[in-house]
Amino acid sequence: MATEVLADAAALREGRRRRALAAMEAQGIDVLLLGREANARYVSGAARLWTAGTRPFGPGCVVVRATGAVHLVSTWDEGIPDDIPHEHLFGITWNPGNLLAWLGGIDGVADARRIGTDSLTPRFAQLLPKVFPSAELVDAEPALAAARRVKTPEEMDAISASLAVAETALAAAVDALRPGVSERHLAAVFMDAMARQGVTTPSTQQVAWVTSGPLPHPVGRAKTAGAGDLVAFDAGVVAGGYTGEVGRTWPTNPDAVESSTKDLYRRADDLWRRLLDACAPGASCRGLLAAYGAEGHEPPPFPVATGLGLGFDVPVVTRDLPETAERQLLEPGMVLAVTAHVADGLRAVFRKDAVLVTAEGPALLTSSPHWQP
Amino acid sequence: MTATLTVPTEPDLGRMQRDRWAKLRHAMDRQGVDALVLLGNSNVSYATGASWPLGDPGRANVERPVAVVTAGDDRPHLFAPFPELVAPDLGLPEDHVHGPVYLEFDEGARSFATTLADLVPAGGKVAVDELPGSVRRAGDLLFPAGAPASADDVIGAAKLIKTPDELGFLRRALQITEQAIVPVQAALAPGVRQVDLTAIFLAAAFDLGAEANILDPIFQVMPARLADGPWTTHGDIACPLVTTERELVAGDVLWVDTGLSYAGFSSDFGRTWVVGAEPTARQHAQFRAWREILDAVLAVTRAGATGAELTRAALGVAGGRRPWMQHFYLGHGLGVDSAEAPFIGTDLGDAYDERQLLAAGTVLVLEPLVWDDGAYGYRSEEVVVVTDDGWISLTDYPYDPYGD
Repeated sequence: MATEVLADAAALREGRRRRALAAMEAQGIDVLLLGREANARYVSGAARLWTAGTRPFGPGCVVVRATGAVHLVSTWDEGIPDDIPHEHLFGITWNPGNLLAWLGGIDGVADARRIGTDSLTPRFAQLLPKVFPSAELVDAEPALAAARRVKTPEEMDAISASLAVAETALAAAVDALRPGVSERHLAAVFMDAMARQGVTTPSTQQVAWVTSGPLPHPVGRAKTAGAGDLVAFDAGVVAGGYTGEVGRTWPTNPDAVESSTKDLYRRADDLWRRLLDACAPGASCRGLLAAYGAEGHEPPPFPVATGLGLGFDVPVVTRDLPETAERQLLEPGMVLAVTAHVADGLRAVFRKDAVLVTAEGPALLTSSPHWQP
Repeated sequence: MTATLTVPTEPDLGRMQRDRWAKLRHAMDRQGVDALVLLGNSNVSYATGASWPLGDPGRANVERPVAVVTAGDDRPHLFAPFPELVAPDLGLPEDHVHGPVYLEFDEGARSFATTLADLVPAGGKVAVDELPGSVRRAGDLLFPAGAPASADDVIGAAKLIKTPDELGFLRRALQITEQAIVPVQAALAPGVRQVDLTAIFLAAAFDLGAEANILDPIFQVMPARLADGPWTTHGDIACPLVTTERELVAGDVLWVDTGLSYAGFSSDFGRTWVVGAEPTARQHAQFRAWREILDAVLAVTRAGATGAELTRAALGVAGGRRPWMQHFYLGHGLGVDSAEAPFIGTDLGDAYDERQLLAAGTVLVLEPLVWDDGAYGYRSEEVVVVTDDGWISLTDYPYDPYGD
């Protein structure tokens, strides 16, 4: 991070934009209207203000395939790459009429036959065909997901930088673990350590939870770690737009761990090794779900693997999408956050690592220490 | 008509949700909607009372709780990975709490159609807040009665006027924010980086029980003159600009803007600070001019006033210049969203502002500013709830180092 707001570097931008334009070409999409920040950043390289949570769809970034031009909703040019000229910027508006008039006036948009969006609302589903009566409105998210899924070398550098911040902040939070500490204080320590490294945006804000007993109450998160508890850490940051995530589980008191708990850790390690083996090039993502079955565990109710990149990427591998997992094949250049989660009804061990799929096999990108029995 | 409005210090989550469900069903009835399918984080939070630490938008799109509200049922259905994590003590029957759905995927959207068919009466009119591509592709299965309507009007009508319990939770969110700002302002000194201020704020906010940070906190170093700032589309102020590792120097004027979430409510905080120096006489005068604008707006703020009355009051004492950011507004609502209706003074225009009728229980964040080219400017935010005969302040943070 720097002392001024910087757009993404030219090499990073160009590699991504080439892929996005190729994906448009392959799908016959003439114009992209993008509302999701990760997609907008992928094609534009612009660093805009981060906000948490889902956002209602509104087209804030436009890509015209014929010219390769990118147009953005931004009232200022700070954080905007120099290949997006001032006349391609449109100020923040609250008036859909003004927004649609801008969209309609962009060079090359009026002639578009196929316009791709990365989501829609019922309102925009009605309004856009009025502005573009001769264009077919299609879903561009699959094409963009395909483009984003395999990382360029510059993206790998960005992900590594993000992971380094996450791992340092995780270490600070783990260091603060002791009997009586609250979940929210562990989150506070993590956020402080993240921001001191120059990264002010988390990818997840759950951060830490006591895995035994009832799950944390959402209001206040005052639950504290007892002497015999296992505390899970889900450390995620967004640095330069890229997500870096790593997860560990630590006993509150590592010097007095019961044998049943040690056994739980051993089983988590066995599962983790099997998951890592499943990250082989050409393998189906079903292998990641099968790893749970092979070790005698139920997959958890959250994804056991997700793509890391700008935001969340495909694949998303979860027990609720078995057919999707079956069809998704791992390719060299994909980066996954892989999660091992083993519970014995009383408590759980959670471990998440970043894995790069290479032609030679899986390569581990995270090296945070983990408790070993 | 009540003359007074009280904000409870111990708001009740269960009562808040029962009131919301009644309002939602009333709005659905008026608009002829039989079922709401809600995907947006804040809408799900409003409809169910569930709240959780919000993730980055990329992650939030995939791992999002979903809510279904039907006209014939006084309780919503919630779909989430750990329902007990996001929705304890909400009084939802067990058969209304479900595992996660993944509507960003074709398989997930198709599978959800089976569930939805059991909840929505045959031929019922469905309204939704978002249509990801996979939901559109499964449209025939999900919405057999035809294209879904927009849920925005139902949700918007229900959430515009806050109940006392909602105001209680909102005020707690605002209090946590103000308490978390205290150590940040105390740390203000030359050599401190912008990101250090963020670190202090986030650590304090989480320690105080904030659920999540909702925007990358703004500690913008303002230029003395507009011409020294970034180029803008309108030739006016560029704000908010993203925080960096820039070190503060004595005399820097910071425009601060932050928000967090608590019990599903968004807070909003805005102040102007000076680094390592006392404001000059000219800067104190800016603050007095700002206070005059705010007071003029507050003087006409009451139930029954239009948004245009507020903008006219501001313009009347601001010497003809619109004393707020041209790309934003003089004021906006606050609740489960950090900026929600009513919006006053936007590019929707004066006629729109004329139609915005304030009601008792509406929350407003007023954010006028004074720009004094050559000597920076002053901007702060004031959060009030509108009452029958005026307003009640929901914030209590000093304007130091400005003021007498």
